[in-house]
Amino acid sequence: MEIYVLVKQVPDPEAIVKVKSDSELEIENKYFTSFFDEIAIEAGLKLKEKTGGKVTVLTVDNRRVDALRRGISMGADDAVQIADPALEGADQFALARTLSTYLKDKPFDLILTGRQAMDDDAGIVGPAVAECLGIPHIHSIIGLEVDDQKKEAKVLREVENGKESLTCPLPALFTCQKGLNVPRIPLVMNVMKAMKAQIKKVDLASLGLGPSDVSPYIKIEKYVPPPKRPPVKMVKEDFPQNVKTLVKLLREEAKVI
Amino acid sequence: MSNDIWVLAEHHEGKVKKITFELLSAGIDFSKKTGQEVAALLLGSGLEEAVKSLTPFADKIYLMDAPSFTPYTSDAYLASIASLIKEHQPSILLGGATSTGKDLFPRLAMHLQTGYAPDCTGLSMGEDGKLTARRPLFGGKVFAEMAFSEARPRMATVRNNAFLVNENPGKSAKVISVPPHIDPSLLKKKVTGFEKATGAKLDITEADIVVAAGRGIKAPENFKLIEDLADVLNGSVGTTRATVDEGWRDLKDQIGKSGKNISAKLYMAFGISGAIHHVLGIGTCKTVVAVDTDPNALIFNYADYGIAGDLFQIVPALTEEFKKALVADQ
Repeated sequence: MEIYVLVKQVPDPEAIVKVKSDSELEIENKYFTSFFDEIAIEAGLKLKEKTGGKVTVLTVDNRRVDALRRGISMGADDAVQIADPALEGADQFALARTLSTYLKDKPFDLILTGRQAMDDDAGIVGPAVAECLGIPHIHSIIGLEVDDQKKEAKVLREVENGKESLTCPLPALFTCQKGLNVPRIPLVMNVMKAMKAQIKKVDLASLGLGPSDVSPYIKIEKYVPPPKRPPVKMVKEDFPQNVKTLVKLLREEAKVI
Repeated sequence: MSNDIWVLAEHHEGKVKKITFELLSAGIDFSKKTGQEVAALLLGSGLEEAVKSLTPFADKIYLMDAPSFTPYTSDAYLASIASLIKEHQPSILLGGATSTGKDLFPRLAMHLQTGYAPDCTGLSMGEDGKLTARRPLFGGKVFAEMAFSEARPRMATVRNNAFLVNENPGKSAKVISVPPHIDPSLLKKKVTGFEKATGAKLDITEADIVVAAGRGIKAPENFKLIEDLADVLNGSVGTTRATVDEGWRDLKDQIGKSGKNISAKLYMAFGISGAIHHVLGIGTCKTVVAVDTDPNALIFNYADYGIAGDLFQIVPALTEEFKKALVADQ
């Protein structure tokens, strides 16, 4: 099977992210491969181990290729970086158009990615790539079995009140959710090898795209800090009076019950 | 061009979800500024009850009745909704930030080549009709105000409890039956089964009240205490990554960065220290209560009310106290 995994290097959940100005953020220099993308890489590798074939990791990023190196260290065969000055400030739709233009003449059976990148938390790129390529997609899968002969996937998807099973013909795109697998931790030796691995670099012109093809549909007008909660009110009385007071506060002050 | 405000109605077992009424209520507010009409988009079959409950909340209901809309797949929904949008050209299309909304909206926006703001916690409409969407980034460490390009409709999915349901919406919708636009060759995905979550009331993203415990609960069987409290409050039970990784609780109930973001009216955290992974998931809850033995626990920095105490003593007493108070109300 030919499998492509769309990945992104993002600030670590522990990284400090603050509003610097209306148009700028201050981001601590602590990055990791978006957790859900690692799940997608793992899913790709597991399928490859079963059916043979190839896993290629793919990113659109002008600066960081660490997610690609992570993919290689885990066992991906190939890595491609799409980078171009015109992609600076591109929205997720522009990224999707770029990725799908790269993918459209590739012989893929399956495209995998995380349910959302852990920076913009948008979850747009995956389904939008599937739309551009005219293939089915399923969002947030927690189970995956592939019948390579029939070119069909059996998928488990998380919905609000339970789990839904679906069948889907390949090629298809699935976005991966925690629970699908536990991503392997690469061996140090493979991490070293990945540092030296060749990464293929592609720009917009080589895809036949110009700046007008990546103009945004949505843009960030302003960054704002998160809403602040007033200081906590500690109920300091002894038990059981503290419980009575808390119930009273929730009913009469907060009026939530 | 109709310029209307459309809301994709979501329903489960024939009943319309609360998020739909919240979004229609927001639409009614916006329409007062710009004179647009508000429409609900309803796809499914056997939806008499849904139509009835939506009628006071919209000027129009576009009803597409076909069995292939239940259960939801983007294959069936996309073409039908897209053709209706191309015909009527609404100004705005809103939906819930639900498993359906997050599956359908990004693809539909790409199909229509229009802007879409996902997982919003607020929307505002200027006097000039400009729509601004507010959404969390980096799991809620910062927020962004998003502007849309000229393309229409402007699309957004919105979390629960971002808007209040209008008590007196005062509309009386005209029901417009629309033939569905289904090409059987496009129905590629097939839903083959559904496993209902055990003991589940509402999903934690949909519940008004969420009661949660973390590692401080000590053993999986002790969650019974939390479940009893949730039952009295008609709430749902959430948890932290630690207990999920231990295998004590199901992943669907995990709150936080690698789990779910919740927007409950009341969130109560017991024996949860307040790791950043967790508190990022509760940033948009209205009122937060924390109980932990450690008076310096980080969770108190993110709470409105706190008790430094033993959950094993406090939770059962709270359950009894709420029971008494709620009985007295009746």
